[in-house]
Amino acid sequence: SSPAALAPCRIMPVRWSRYNPSYLEPEVRKESYQKPLEELTEEEREQAELKAVRPIKAAPPTLSSSVFSDPMISKFTNMMMKSGNKVLARSLMSQTLEAIKRKQLEKYHKAPENEKETIECNPYVIFHQALKNCQPIIGLSNITKGGKTYQVPVPLTDNRKRFLAMKWLITECRENKHRRTMMPEKLSQELLLAFNNEGPVIKKKHVLHKMAEANRAYAHFRWW
Amino acid sequence: LRLICTTTAVQRKNVGASGPEKYTEAFIKKQIEEFNLGKRHLANMMGEDPETFTQEDIDRSIAYLFPSGLFDKQARPMMKHPTEVFPEQRKIQWGEDGRPFHFLFYTGKQSYYSLMHETYEKLLNVQKHQDQLIAQDLSPQKEKRNLAGSRWLTKIELEEMLLEKVSDNDYSRFIQLLEKLVALPCAEVEEQYIQKFSKEVPVQSQKVVIEPLQHDERGVAFSTGEGKRKTATATAVVYDNGTGKITVNGIDILHYFPVLQDREQLLFPFQFLGRIGKHDMVCTVSGGGRSAQAGAIRLASAKALRIFVTEKEVEFMRQAGLLTVDPRVKERKKPGQEGPRRKFTWKKR
Repeated sequence: SSPAALAPCRIMPVRWSRYNPSYLEPEVRKESYQKPLEELTEEEREQAELKAVRPIKAAPPTLSSSVFSDPMISKFTNMMMKSGNKVLARSLMSQTLEAIKRKQLEKYHKAPENEKETIECNPYVIFHQALKNCQPIIGLSNITKGGKTYQVPVPLTDNRKRFLAMKWLITECRENKHRRTMMPEKLSQELLLAFNNEGPVIKKKHVLHKMAEANRAYAHFRWW
Repeated sequence: LRLICTTTAVQRKNVGASGPEKYTEAFIKKQIEEFNLGKRHLANMMGEDPETFTQEDIDRSIAYLFPSGLFDKQARPMMKHPTEVFPEQRKIQWGEDGRPFHFLFYTGKQSYYSLMHETYEKLLNVQKHQDQLIAQDLSPQKEKRNLAGSRWLTKIELEEMLLEKVSDNDYSRFIQLLEKLVALPCAEVEEQYIQKFSKEVPVQSQKVVIEPLQHDERGVAFSTGEGKRKTATATAVVYDNGTGKITVNGIDILHYFPVLQDREQLLFPFQFLGRIGKHDMVCTVSGGGRSAQAGAIRLASAKALRIFVTEKEVEFMRQAGLLTVDPRVKERKKPGQEGPRRKFTWKKR
């Protein structure tokens, strides 16, 4: 409920945090520290100067500099988590990635020679591509004008797109599955379908796009 | 919707802006005279030189002459300069005929708006100076202002300066204007004016002294570090020339931390510095839960590794967030609510 009009304000009314507002986010990846000074652009140089002076927040427990920690995967794991059971969510995620790898390897070994190169075996690549394919470009928002509520097409921020893609995947896997199928199996199925631009989540995205196209007439109701 | 990082200072009443003065100027003057006289009498009583009697000496003497066992420090007898006792207040803003002195009185926030006008005037001044330089074909030099040691006045300090209430929106607009002024190339012209609103932040005081290496009986170099996270405290001893074995409370980490995430956190500092197989670690940890203990050991090991590594790498570790104590703790439950944020179920009747 804080609209864009408050954006110029530096003191953003936000959920408060234990850190002083001057603390900056930590940068965990090793490669960003190995770049020599000359390669950085103007903005990066200013950022680096600021970082040298300001205090930095502590790295959260989900973040690590190892190759295996991926911020998108952690976000997805957190969204899958129920009642704070991170252990279970993490194990489900790793089982999903394993299942994807197994299915792709099976396909790889069965495929003829010329098609072997087109089959993607890296589960992380499949996950990222599937998420990207599920992200909607435009969203709808309810605007009440003259007593009636209209569905107005509205641009979405990156964060919102990612959130919607992840949410659709998870709700799809929780609801539309047989009682006896396990979550990793269903999730790996959905991810592979999304990777190939098929499946119910992609259909949902297309339905949203069609609705937005149909309500084009109300686009001028948006004031931000 | 709450301000980020509220402190008790924010909740303090802004007495200066509460209204016209309760104490007349003559009264305050008399108080100051009485205070100075009393200071000289006190110095004579204590047998010290009245000329060099400082506030600390006054506090000491009063504590000696009027010993009090009261718990609250504010309730004990004190003798302070009247400007500290009677807070600065605004004088009456209008004359005897009822006509206000300041031309912006009827805006309601006269000091704030006059400040904004002044700052904008300085901005226009700087722009005029810049135009003059361009007309003379001299390029305006852009000197980077030292971000290091200065910060702007906080809202409370600004309120104290202006003696009137400043809202969040107004404060942020003022800071934006100041930043705009500073960003212009020829801002050095108004440097004096800008310095009224900026304060020094001592950066060098954050220099942490790193303990030197120690050697145990076998001649192996080691270093210790301590870490805390939520309620867990940990001490880590990192040995040089090791094989990468890590022991926690006498138990191997594979058995102590069955969860992969905790082990990842333990190895994070080593992996960041690229020294995975080169050090041995023995840690002791107590308190907290599984994740808190892992975080505490991570901080302790990062602190211990600072000695084995160059200063640049220590700076990289700090920027990666390995050397900061995580201040997040469990939020308390509030009365009238079920938990820290969750409210009781709303029942219509």
